[in-house]
Amino acid sequence: MKITLVKKIMADGSPCKKCGDVLQKLEQNNQMQYIDEVLVADERDSNSDGMLLAAEHNVNRAPFFVVEEEGQPVKIHTVYFKFAKEVLAQKTSEKEELKEIMNDNPDLDFI
Amino acid sequence: MSNLLDTVDLDQQLQQQSPQEILQFAIEQHGNIAISFSGAEDVVLIDMAHKIDPDVEVFCLDTGRLHPETYRFIERVREHYGIYIDVRYPDGEAVRELVQEKGLFSFYQDNHQECCSIRKIAPLRAKLLEVDAWVTGQRRDQSPGTRAQIPVIQEDKVFARENDTLTKFNPLANWTSKQVWNYIRTYDVPYNELHDRGFVSIGCEPCTRPIGPGQHEREGRWWWEEATKKECGLHATNIEQ
Repeated sequence: MKITLVKKIMADGSPCKKCGDVLQKLEQNNQMQYIDEVLVADERDSNSDGMLLAAEHNVNRAPFFVVEEEGQPVKIHTVYFKFAKEVLAQKTSEKEELKEIMNDNPDLDFI
Repeated sequence: MSNLLDTVDLDQQLQQQSPQEILQFAIEQHGNIAISFSGAEDVVLIDMAHKIDPDVEVFCLDTGRLHPETYRFIERVREHYGIYIDVRYPDGEAVRELVQEKGLFSFYQDNHQECCSIRKIAPLRAKLLEVDAWVTGQRRDQSPGTRAQIPVIQEDKVFARENDTLTKFNPLANWTSKQVWNYIRTYDVPYNELHDRGFVSIGCEPCTRPIGPGQHEREGRWWWEEATKKECGLHATNIEQ
């Protein structure tokens, strides 16, 4: 299995806060060992590795995880807690997972 | 990958279609599909879908904090169309914990996300685990951001079952509020009485207020929160050009 994490650099050159939060969670939970590659999606450079990967998989948010497994279709995860639960088989808090979903998907305000 | 490419291609095709044509496609393609109904002007989706399939499934998220007018409206819609509406509720224990810890109006102190995640998102997720596709009334003009990109069809990666796919349709994505209301008037569709009192976007009672002329409908929801929101989208810029 190969896991790639894509983090974002904003159009003004600043790092994405959410990406920082997710990286911190990965460190705290000793999960960085499972990440094979970290790519940067630089909004100022549409040819940056992360931007190209996002375009290839039609992902429109960051951070995100690309999970490649032999003989399986590539899986994309945009919710850290869902990724931790489904890919790393880590027990996660539903409360935290739901809060992350709500924070990252403002369109759900109109459901 | 092929599913993903299919969805992207389909979106380009469906962008040119009317909401009725998109709904027709969605219902024909997915036997196990449900329409999300918020008790507001997304009632037009029920009217359109009911003409295609009178047995179409509709669900509603009862957060426990809706206006009495909205509850009456949901019931009116149920009777008017003779449909079954699957009303979903939040987990009582999760609500009790939130209220015990932070009170009944915690969203005024911090923000609405925690309350919404318990009262709305958890039951939404539970419902979506049961279906293969869902339909929302989301529109581009509901977001004041200029970058609002709501596809007509998309792969819902957030709520999909593990190792499975979930398709989300937004047939009204390209319609404006005015078009929605033209439809409601033209076809005499029942609507929430709160709309006659200046409410445009309708959600929970403590988080919804009427707005005045020229105000964006978003200003009628969570008005105490800062306008600045987290920006998690990926936006390629053209500064190199």
